[in-house]
Amino acid sequence: MLGVAIGIFIACCLLPVGYLLLELLRRPTDSLGAMLLDARRRGLLYNTAVLGAGTALVATAIGAPLGILLARVALSGKSVLRLALAAPALIPPYVMGLSWVYLTNSRGISPDWIYSLPAAIFVLSLVFSPLAMLATEVAMRRIDSRLEEAGLMVAPSGRVLRRITLPLTAPSILAGALLIFVLAVSEFGVPGLLRVRVYTTEVFTAFAALYDFGRALTLTVPLLVSCVCVAAVAAILVGDPMVTTRRSGSSRPAVFGSWRRGGLAFALVVIGIALGVPIVVLAGEAARAGSVRQVLAESGSAITNSLVLSATGATLVVSVALWLGYARARTLRSSGRIVDVVFVALFAVPSTVVGVGLIGLWNRPGIVGTVYGTDAMFLLAYLARFVPVAALILAASARNVPVSHEEVAAVSGAGWARTITRIVLPQMRLGIATAWVIVFVLAFGELGVSILVTPPGEATLPIRIYTMIANTPPSHVAMFALLQTIVVFTAVTVLGVVVASLRPSARAQGVPSVVEGREAR
Amino acid sequence: MTTPLLVIRNVTKRLGPHQAIDGVSLDVASGEAVAVLGPSGCGKTTLLRLTAGLEVPDTGEIWLRETQVAATGRSLVPPYERGIGFVFQDLALWPHLTVREQLDFVLGSMHVARHERAPKINEALKLVRIEQLATRYPHQLSGGEQQRAALARALVGHPRLVLLDEPLSSLDPDLRSDLRKELASLQRSIGVTTVYVTHDRDDAAVLADRIVEMRAGRMVSQRINAPPHI
Repeated sequence: MLGVAIGIFIACCLLPVGYLLLELLRRPTDSLGAMLLDARRRGLLYNTAVLGAGTALVATAIGAPLGILLARVALSGKSVLRLALAAPALIPPYVMGLSWVYLTNSRGISPDWIYSLPAAIFVLSLVFSPLAMLATEVAMRRIDSRLEEAGLMVAPSGRVLRRITLPLTAPSILAGALLIFVLAVSEFGVPGLLRVRVYTTEVFTAFAALYDFGRALTLTVPLLVSCVCVAAVAAILVGDPMVTTRRSGSSRPAVFGSWRRGGLAFALVVIGIALGVPIVVLAGEAARAGSVRQVLAESGSAITNSLVLSATGATLVVSVALWLGYARARTLRSSGRIVDVVFVALFAVPSTVVGVGLIGLWNRPGIVGTVYGTDAMFLLAYLARFVPVAALILAASARNVPVSHEEVAAVSGAGWARTITRIVLPQMRLGIATAWVIVFVLAFGELGVSILVTPPGEATLPIRIYTMIANTPPSHVAMFALLQTIVVFTAVTVLGVVVASLRPSARAQGVPSVVEGREAR
Repeated sequence: MTTPLLVIRNVTKRLGPHQAIDGVSLDVASGEAVAVLGPSGCGKTTLLRLTAGLEVPDTGEIWLRETQVAATGRSLVPPYERGIGFVFQDLALWPHLTVREQLDFVLGSMHVARHERAPKINEALKLVRIEQLATRYPHQLSGGEQQRAALARALVGHPRLVLLDEPLSSLDPDLRSDLRKELASLQRSIGVTTVYVTHDRDDAAVLADRIVEMRAGRMVSQRINAPPHI
């Protein structure tokens, strides 16, 4: 099974990137240099860098204090608060962007404001700030709160935060910021919607509008190199052993209890802006549509396509990632770190870059070419983009299953297959469910690769929404965007119910702590 | 009769469903060394945390040198203004700071002028005999050295009261015995008031002038102890 999984991983995740690199090496270096360094490209580079850095900065400025609030301030209903604060990450970025476009239009605000680079930074920061929040919270939970209490014995909480807490959590917060940088730089939907020229939109234009594969290929270079390098640094930072102090059962969430009121007010403002505004605006806009049935009929088969493809894709991705994750969990620490870096770097490859790689690889005559132009391209796209992240989630889950459990089974006479199916997988079932739902959500909102590889006449919901924006009444587009958000929230709610119903044994079953959301006290 | 340095009056504290402290009263005189003895979960660590200000009593009062620092449901003086040194059970040495930086953080927090800090730090390090380890990080220290570093950090600010929460519990028996004697000697030489929490009768017998026994959140007995001459 592991051999098959590795084979699929190489074919789907590594080959598209490898193909791009080989193609680039075959091109004359002088034309490559000219294309990378002319004035137009420098403008693209500037916009892309500002979008990435600005989003990383603003999202971290919003998310990190919220992470501290969740980790170190006693609050009632914290699970609900965490869910509400994390929810904006589930809204597809272009849907979030769309809601702010409608809001500014309806308020008569100048379009110059929303169709701009700062607006793109603002929208992406709302979507990605939960990642900074969760990275900070997880990092803080890894620190024994007694280190902060020792500080509180001699210093006020502000000084303890600056001198003790932040230095210990800085590597993880920085890693979170770097990942947000990569995600923002890789993002295609929001810059496209808000007419901001960055590398991802330029790759799409070169390929889809100008049919210039060579140009698209060249444009992927800076994106690919910067994203992979930054992601690799982030993966190394996350593993920094300095922050892994002893995790004791005495972790008390109330170290900075005096900040409760201010922190709560800040959290409610963020929820209002990042979750309340988009939902209310989209619902208000959708309410103007005449007939729901008629609007849904306009979508053709996009909704059904999206549901079926996302569910099939999630199942395929998890089936492959399960074995990779298990193998990673049982790998030696040193080589395992390298595997982590590879997984994170591959997940960071921008969607439009993956799309160009897949097209170059599959759009050719012969047996291989028969796949191109079918729905299978969507599934290949999901495998290429989401196997690495699913493998990381499942590796975390598999690590929570003690090796001794397998050793006892082996000593008892169980073979490998029986040990895996009867001992390991049952303990990983919540981790598997979590990975499936996360991949389903990501696949359901996937736009960057899908829009490049979509077969003629076929479309998923994100593609339909994106293409409808220019020539369909806003109320219809808003209804689809709302529908997409509802499907995503429903999937996550089902996962939440499953986790809650199994909570007493959740830790033993390897659910990542973020999902688990329990307080050690 | 002199006023006690620490006065705890009818303090209760519930942690979740567990009544951790149930009506405890305790007076500690200036310069006295008190050991709070009891099994795990009897509430002795919670008593220290209440005194330090890391927990707030549900009911009762806590006074430090005639100043009320905690009342029912309220902390009146924050931990860093109580003048207490605290040695945690797991020592809680900050992993990103050297031994010298740990002590410097304490003095800096007390607004001690920068040029006055070095002599105070050297004095504290000399007291616990780790002057040569000042530039080491916690992970570069042995268990006994970490113990001394934590003690130096607790003493460097010349606190009125030092609270020790089973600081020897993680050491092997030989090292534990040696450090126990050193700690007792140090306590007598500088005359600082200490409250020492332990479940080990030998620790209590060597370190304390008075031994207070706790069971299930209550104080069940106290007796004067004559520690052996170190």
